[in-house]
Amino acid sequence: MKEDLREILMDIRPDVDFDNETELIDGGILESMDIVAIVGEIKEAFDVTIGIEQLIPENFNSEGAILALIERLQDED
Amino acid sequence: MENDIKNVLEWLDATAERFPEKTAFDDGENSICFSEVRRKTQQVGAGLLHLLVNADESEAVSKRNAATPVAVLSGRNIDTPVAFLGAVAAGCFYAPLDATAPIPRLQTILANLKPEVLIVSEEFQELSGQLLQNGQAVRTALLEDLIQTEVTDEDLAKMQEIRQQQQPADPLYVIHTSGSSGTPKGVLTGHASLINYINAYSKVMGIDENDVLGNQSPLDYIAAIRDIYVPLKTGAQTCILPKKDFVFPGILFDDLTAKKVTSIGWSVNAMTIPTNMGAFEKGCPEYLNKVCFSGSVMPCRVLKIWQEHLPEAKFVNQYGPTEATASCTYYEVKEKVREEDVLPIGIPYDNYEVFLLNEDGTLTKDGEIGEICVGGPVLALGYLNAPELTAKSFVPDPRAREGIVYKTGDLGRMAEDGNLEFHGRKDRQIKHLGHRVELDEIEEAAKRINGIADCTALYKVESEMIYLFYTGTATVKEIATVLRANLPGFMVPRKFIQLEEMPHLANGKTDMQTLKQMM
Repeated sequence: MKEDLREILMDIRPDVDFDNETELIDGGILESMDIVAIVGEIKEAFDVTIGIEQLIPENFNSEGAILALIERLQDED
Repeated sequence: MENDIKNVLEWLDATAERFPEKTAFDDGENSICFSEVRRKTQQVGAGLLHLLVNADESEAVSKRNAATPVAVLSGRNIDTPVAFLGAVAAGCFYAPLDATAPIPRLQTILANLKPEVLIVSEEFQELSGQLLQNGQAVRTALLEDLIQTEVTDEDLAKMQEIRQQQQPADPLYVIHTSGSSGTPKGVLTGHASLINYINAYSKVMGIDENDVLGNQSPLDYIAAIRDIYVPLKTGAQTCILPKKDFVFPGILFDDLTAKKVTSIGWSVNAMTIPTNMGAFEKGCPEYLNKVCFSGSVMPCRVLKIWQEHLPEAKFVNQYGPTEATASCTYYEVKEKVREEDVLPIGIPYDNYEVFLLNEDGTLTKDGEIGEICVGGPVLALGYLNAPELTAKSFVPDPRAREGIVYKTGDLGRMAEDGNLEFHGRKDRQIKHLGHRVELDEIEEAAKRINGIADCTALYKVESEMIYLFYTGTATVKEIATVLRANLPGFMVPRKFIQLEEMPHLANGKTDMQTLKQMM
């Protein structure tokens, strides 16, 4: 799953160091259109819907946080 | 005509008298009332005067300053409007810089601007050092220091004298926008045009001192002039909303309600993104009752959802370029829209003259599509230090009248009911995420990369994505990284497609249709 997510992220923002970056939002690295694209791609690839309640900075600050969010959503199903 | 003032600071003086303790700007961490805005404006103004006088005592400062640019590099907070107004108080005009823009781009802008002073806030001191590394001689002044300046009676008298000598057409600001040659253009605008627009906008929207404006636009961007100057004129308050709100729409509506925001003037994009992400499922901006949107075509599918959730609100579709001082026409959406509707761009604001021209410079016949042209005492003064570019777009009125008109490059048609319709562009400029983008500028930047032999940028409107087709050995990561370092984020293509060969037409031009099929 991690590889699939990485592929999505790198396709959207090939310039970002997703291995180490932990302030994707707080550091102003990802922009609103990036988040829109990420949410759309995750829905398609992992069959989970990220609702408005989960759209908070904490869930998107790092690749690990996004991964944890997907896992939580999959467990809920 | 309501244009009874000739300098924007007259608004500030009057409103600071009427509502001294009322909040003018609030950035979530700090707020500032009108009397404080006036006091700090005087401090920044006096501080700048001291700098300018020290630099050149022999010249009459007040005479010279009208042509003096002051660059401003500061954050998304309440000090930034004060920095702008302080430059005006010193008789200069200001040039807001986007601190998030890549350094090479900012250096290009500074090289064209040739500012006398660069006002920088503490958080961007390091950046300003990097900007000036290329040896450009610009004095820098720390905004936090300027705000501490002790203002003497002599300073106040000097600023008063400057004000008296100023003319309504004197430049107020220069705002930069994408240029097809690869270099950003600086749109220089005078007090009179700004004053006219703010009067017209406040009237159409019905804004008064009881309103709270929610600012979305970056403060260096043209749309922010509403959020900065409407409070000065009317006594309304502006809340500078955090950038994060627009990345996470769940927080956005909560913030609008918490701040009791009544009026917004946003890019279409700032409304479509939260809608598409389900922001209305969580709540509604309770106090919001005046909504203006501009920057690109509003999909009525989205507007319908806003109308359903805010049935009492006024919705206004605004159209216009930076060169016509943010706008020229507006359309108040009084009907309940259907998903398939296309909004007109409406009728001219007060004192704006809008008409359509054929390619040969003659007026179009009724119902025909032509280039939208704007005239009246509403236009920008031209592009800063770019007379040839200015002469191309700001032309003598072709209708055998006095004056200058601006050719927008947009196409329009006058409907029978008198509303103007928008019909796209004449050239390759696009509107993306509320910003004007010249595809040529992206290509120019990409062609400077070693591993790129040829490239073409195209825009896919439906998915709001810029594509870059290229030939050469560069990897996607290399290209994306270099472009990020040279262009603002919104100009960096989302999709990179490597080709063996660029498709060409028989006449040697790039075959755009073949490329479009690959998007």
